[in-house]
Amino acid sequence: MSHSVRGYTNSRPQQPQRVVITGLGVISSIGIGRDVFWDHLMSGYSGIGPISSFDSSEFPVHQGAEVKQFDPTAYVLNLSPDSIGRASQFAIGAARLAVQDANLHIPEDEAYDCGVAIGTTSGEPGIIERFDDQFVASHLDEVSSRFIATYPCHVLAAHVACELGLAGAVLTIPTACAAGNHAIARAYDELRSGKAKVMLAGGADAFSRITYAGFARLGAIAPELCQPFDLNRKGMIPGEGAAFLVLETLEHALNRSAAVYSEVAGYGLSCDAYHMTAADPQGSGGVRAMECALAFAGLSPDDVDYISAHGTGTPTNDRLETIAIKRVFGNRAARIPVSGIKSMLGHAMGAASAIEALACVLAIRDGCIPPTINLYHSDPQCDLDYVPLTGRKHEVKVALSNAYAFGGNNSSLLLARYEA
Amino acid sequence: MKMDHRVAITGLGLLSALGDSPSRLFEALCAGRSGVRSGTELQSRHRCGCHLAGRLSSDQPEKYLSGRPLRPLDRISQMASAACGLALQSGGWDAERRARVDVSLVVGTMFGGMHTIGEFDRAAIVSGPASVSPMSFANTVINAAAGQTAIWHQLRGANSTVATGSVSGISSVGHAADWIAQGKSTVVLAGGADEFSIEAFCGFGRAGLLCTDGDRAELPIPFDQRRNGFALGEGAGFLVLEDLAYARRRGARVAAEIRGYATAFDVSQGNDPDLAVRAMVRAMRTAISRSGMTADSIEFVSASANGSITRDCSELSALAAVFGERAKELPVTAIKSGTGETLGASGALQIAVALETLASGKLPGIIGLEELPPACPLEGLLARTQSIDARSALINGVGLDGNCCSLVLASLE
Repeated sequence: MSHSVRGYTNSRPQQPQRVVITGLGVISSIGIGRDVFWDHLMSGYSGIGPISSFDSSEFPVHQGAEVKQFDPTAYVLNLSPDSIGRASQFAIGAARLAVQDANLHIPEDEAYDCGVAIGTTSGEPGIIERFDDQFVASHLDEVSSRFIATYPCHVLAAHVACELGLAGAVLTIPTACAAGNHAIARAYDELRSGKAKVMLAGGADAFSRITYAGFARLGAIAPELCQPFDLNRKGMIPGEGAAFLVLETLEHALNRSAAVYSEVAGYGLSCDAYHMTAADPQGSGGVRAMECALAFAGLSPDDVDYISAHGTGTPTNDRLETIAIKRVFGNRAARIPVSGIKSMLGHAMGAASAIEALACVLAIRDGCIPPTINLYHSDPQCDLDYVPLTGRKHEVKVALSNAYAFGGNNSSLLLARYEA
Repeated sequence: MKMDHRVAITGLGLLSALGDSPSRLFEALCAGRSGVRSGTELQSRHRCGCHLAGRLSSDQPEKYLSGRPLRPLDRISQMASAACGLALQSGGWDAERRARVDVSLVVGTMFGGMHTIGEFDRAAIVSGPASVSPMSFANTVINAAAGQTAIWHQLRGANSTVATGSVSGISSVGHAADWIAQGKSTVVLAGGADEFSIEAFCGFGRAGLLCTDGDRAELPIPFDQRRNGFALGEGAGFLVLEDLAYARRRGARVAAEIRGYATAFDVSQGNDPDLAVRAMVRAMRTAISRSGMTADSIEFVSASANGSITRDCSELSALAAVFGERAKELPVTAIKSGTGETLGASGALQIAVALETLASGKLPGIIGLEELPPACPLEGLLARTQSIDARSALINGVGLDGNCCSLVLASLE
C-alpha cells in the first residue's frame, strides 16, 4: 500500500503543525466583545446579580451571572434566531465576533478544512425544560417537531457550522465544566495533525434551572459573592455565556497575513477515577493534567508565568487546586500569580474555560493579568498569590489554564506568546 | 512529539438488542434475526405512530457489574461501564495492567443520561427544587457515563465525551485514534452509548423520523424502497485502541488496525441533496486516502443507513460516486434493521460486526431488504449473508444533522 497522509499508517511520519490563535469572541455576563470584556475583567467588574432567567423564589439562593442585553438578531443571520436555543445563539454570537476579529473569510473551496469544536455542560437546557413542562402537564403531543433538531447538545456545533459555512470537523464536547479546554484541545489536535486548517474552538452554556437546582441542592451556591480562595468563601455562582478562539495552523495564518495573538503550546487531560462530585483529596488528577500539559509542550514548571485557576469559590475546589499547583510548581508556586476570574463571571459552565483561555490570550498580549475579586481574607490553606482585588502589570510568556469537571475530569491548557 | 504511532484494536465489548458479545451480535445478523420488536406501550403513551424499538433486555447491563453498589450509576452509566468492562476483559487489560498504564476513555453519545436529566427536572417541577437528589444531579451532566465508567474501572487517563448526534460513536473512535497516533495515549477505550428514552423516542417521532405504520407495515429497513423511517435502538459498544507497537510488545492479539478517519459536514443539514452527498463523498474519500489506500482496495462497506427516507438515499448516491464502476458489485452491509438506530453506540457496533467479518470471512446481509429503489446503482445490497475474503472495510456514519464520518479498518499484513 502506498504512503499515507494524516492517517495512522506511519509510512511517512509527519511534522506536527504549529497552532496559533488569531481571533477572539466572547459573550459574557460582564460584557459582549473582546474589548468590553477585557476592560471589565481588568477593572474587577462583577457580572453577578439576582437571576431573571426563571423564578428563584423556591430556591434558597438567588444570585447568578447572566448575560444581559444580548440581541441574537445581531449575530444569527442565516438561521432563524427563534428556531434555535439560547446556547446556540450565544455560540453563534461569540463565533461571529471571533471570525470578525480574525479578519477571516472562508472561501468555499476551503470549507471542508475548517471546523468547529465547542464545549458545553447542558447543551440547550431551555429546550428540555420546555419539554419537561409539557411532559408534566401531559401534553407530549404538543412537543415541537423541532425538539430533536434543537435539543441534543451536538446542535451547538452544527448551528455554528451552518451559520458560518464550516464543513470540516464539527463536534460538541460535553465534558461539563472542563468542556471549553477539551474543545480547544480537540481543535488543536485537528490542526496539529494537519487534518484541518482553521478550527473555531470554544464553549457555550445558557442559564439552566436544572443546573441551578442541582448545585443549590448540593449546597454549592454562594448566597451573595463568588470568593475564590477567600477564607470565607461560600461556593460558586452559576453563570452563562460563550467564547470562541480562532485557531489556525501557523502556515495558514502566515499565508493570509493574519495577526497572531499567541500559540497553543499543549494540553493535558486526566481523570481522578475517584468520585463524581468530589475531587481526589491529594489533588493527584490535577497534578497529572498539569504535568502532562508541560511535558507535551516541552516546557518546564519554570516557564509558566501565570495560572488561570479553575477557582470556583467552593471550599474544597480552591483548597485542592492550591495543593495541586504547589505539587507541580514546588517552591516557585508562591511566586506565580494565580487568578480566579469566576469571582467576576460566575461559573459559565462549559463556556468557563473557553472564556478563561481567552483571558489568558489577552494577558499574554497586554502583559497584565486580571484580579481575583472579593478576596478579602486569606485562607491559610490557600497561600498563593491570587492577585487579590486589583489586576496588575505582569509579563506573561506562558499561561496555564486549569479546568475541572464532574467525574473527576481534569484539564490543563498551555498558551504561549507567539515567537516566529 | 512524533505522530507516527499506528492504532491497533485489541479488545471489544458491547451490549445490544441482539446480545452482549461481538459473536452473538454477528451470528444473529448473519441468521437474519432482528432485535427490533413491537411494544404497544410505546404507541399508546407517546402517539407518534411507531411501535418498534430495539431495546436491551431487563437484565442487561447489571449482570456485568458486580462487587460494588450500583446505585450511583444511572442506566447509561451502567451500560457504558458494562461494555467497557467486557472490552477490557477481551483485551487483557486487567486491574493490574490498568494500575501500571493509564487508560484513557472517550464516550460518544447523542443524549447522555437523558432519562436522568428529564426525571431530575420533572421532580423539581412537581415537588420543588429542594426535593431533587444530589446523586442524580451528578448524572445529569452529559459526560456522567464517562466519569462513572472511569470510577468503576479505575481509568486515570484522559477522559472525554464527544457528541456528534448519531455518528458520535465513530467520532469518538476517530478522536481516540488521534490521541494514540500523536502519542498522547498508549491505550484508549473508545466507542459510545445511548439509552432508549421517552424524550428521544417522542422527539424523533414528532419529527416524523421513526418508521410509522400508517397504512403499511413499519419498515425500518436500510435502503429498501418501502422504508418509512428508522427504529430507535439502544446499546453500548467500546473498543480497546492501543499503540500497535505497545500491543505487539505485550503480545496482544490485534483484531485489526484503524488506518484512517475523516469527517465532513453538510452545512445545508440535508436540505440541499447535492451538498449532503458531497459531504458523505468527502468523508469517505478522505478517510480512504488518509489510509494510504484507494477505493478499489476497500473490500466491503458497513453503511450507516437505518431506514431514513432521505439519508439512506444520499448514502446510496455517495457510495456510487466513491466506488464508481465497482459500486454495482460492492459488498455492503447495514446492521440497523437488526439493532435499531443505536445512536452513540452504532459506530462501535458497526465496527464490531466488521471485525467479525474480517475474521470469519462472512458478511451479514441487510435484514429485511427486498426492494431496491429504482435504478439503484448498488445491486450487491440485495445479497444475503455471503462469504467474503476481506482484509479491509469502510465504516460509514451519516448523521441526521449533516455530520458524516468514515473510518477505514484493515487486517494487519
